[in-house]
Amino acid sequence: MTIGRRRAVKKGVNAASTLLDAPRRLGRNAGFAEVVAEELDAVYGYLVYLTGDRSAAEDLAAETFEKAFRTWRRFDPRRGSPRTWLCRIAHNVAIDWFRSEARRRKREDTYAQQQDIVDEFVDGLPGPLEQALRELSPAEREVVALRVLLDLDGPSASRVLGISQTACSTRLSRALKRLEEKA
Amino acid sequence: MSVEAVLRAHAPQAPESLRARVLELEPRRMPSRRLVLVLAVALVAAVAAAVVHGLVSSGPAPQQVVRGFAPHVELAPSVKSPAVPSVSAGGSVGAATTRLQQYEASLELRVKDVPNATTRATRIAAALGGYAQSVQYSSSSKSAYLVLRVPVPDVKTAIARLTALGTIVSQNLSVTDLEHDLQVESTQIAQLRRTIAALEAALRNPSLPDAQRVILQIRLANAKRALNERLNARTGTIAAGQTARISVELGTKHAVVPPAHRPGRLGRIVHSAVGFLGLEAAIALYALIALSPLALVAALFWSLREARRRRDDRLVME
Repeated sequence: MTIGRRRAVKKGVNAASTLLDAPRRLGRNAGFAEVVAEELDAVYGYLVYLTGDRSAAEDLAAETFEKAFRTWRRFDPRRGSPRTWLCRIAHNVAIDWFRSEARRRKREDTYAQQQDIVDEFVDGLPGPLEQALRELSPAEREVVALRVLLDLDGPSASRVLGISQTACSTRLSRALKRLEEKA
Repeated sequence: MSVEAVLRAHAPQAPESLRARVLELEPRRMPSRRLVLVLAVALVAAVAAAVVHGLVSSGPAPQQVVRGFAPHVELAPSVKSPAVPSVSAGGSVGAATTRLQQYEASLELRVKDVPNATTRATRIAAALGGYAQSVQYSSSSKSAYLVLRVPVPDVKTAIARLTALGTIVSQNLSVTDLEHDLQVESTQIAQLRRTIAALEAALRNPSLPDAQRVILQIRLANAKRALNERLNARTGTIAAGQTARISVELGTKHAVVPPAHRPGRLGRIVHSAVGFLGLEAAIALYALIALSPLALVAALFWSLREARRRRDDRLVME
């Protein structure tokens, strides 16, 4: 039994009906379909927080899972949970996106970041909190997503971010403080 | 309600369109598997090339030389000459009576007393009407190397007597047909004699101009010198066919080198294939050494690029 399946059973995750056919379609990557079922929301949420753009997050999540699917056989559960692994991939995908966005803005000579984020950040989030969330830097939103939203522990989050645990904790507390102040 | 609780309560949910999109992913062949496949094919090709090389280069076993003391060994008549005689146990040679042939034998014997055996070997040759062409004796290595010449009809007797001096370690016997060489030399001699006779007849003409006479005299001298050389060569050929050359190596138990094992066809194939594989490995190693500086530069470039990328990542996220 894979970790994904174990966790799915433990949490009582009921996969969507489309997922029933997935293992058959995915062949020997059957475990991957279970990981998708369990981790898609988490990865998507993480990317929404990181990019501040829901449509971009959707594309990036798809790209993340595509990359994960290609390298699924190389995934080693002993080195970390599927969530940490996926977040690491999503982090790299998002970095590339940020870089291309920066190039695009430079090309278009448009520096107003707010113009890119026109959608509602998260459905149902109180206005002041959403505004405060917008005002955080992507790095701060990222650590909030990992530690609060995805409930990753310190070592896993710091591994995803590529920074030390201390830096991760500092960044998180600073972000939460700013959110509390403005919310 | 804390900020964390609010954020968790309003966690973004992936739209169904995204879920369907992700589940539409089709399995792709892993690049690493392609690499493994390519490497496997390369390895198989290398081994196949080595085996083919081994098969081609090993060839059939040479049979001109009889090595060792088989109970009854016969040389195939077609190996060196249509008239190569049979060689049987004890070095017996059924010498051909009609053709001139050169016999060469080599013996390696283990004896207890090398000086005594050396003396006896030279006496055996002398008793049969032959002689010792050369004798090399080394007291330090307790070994001796003799080259004996004995009349061809007595080769059988000579080998039988020599092998009785000690224990045989190895024995080789080869027979080379000299008939063709003799015929060539005889033809050349006859041609030269005709040329000389014609030149002498021309020189007897009193009306021959002086300049042409000198030229003919030079040609006559050259022809006579060539005839002399050919006659000597033919004498040597006939002598070689009349006396057999027997080289004898004598040594004590420790001095004598054990006979080299001659591997079979399969052994030679394997040996040749392994040698070829070694050559391939050497070439690969050479290529690796030649390319290693480039690889080092590439690795350095890659690490610098990675460092820069990490720095850019930090900047872009701030």
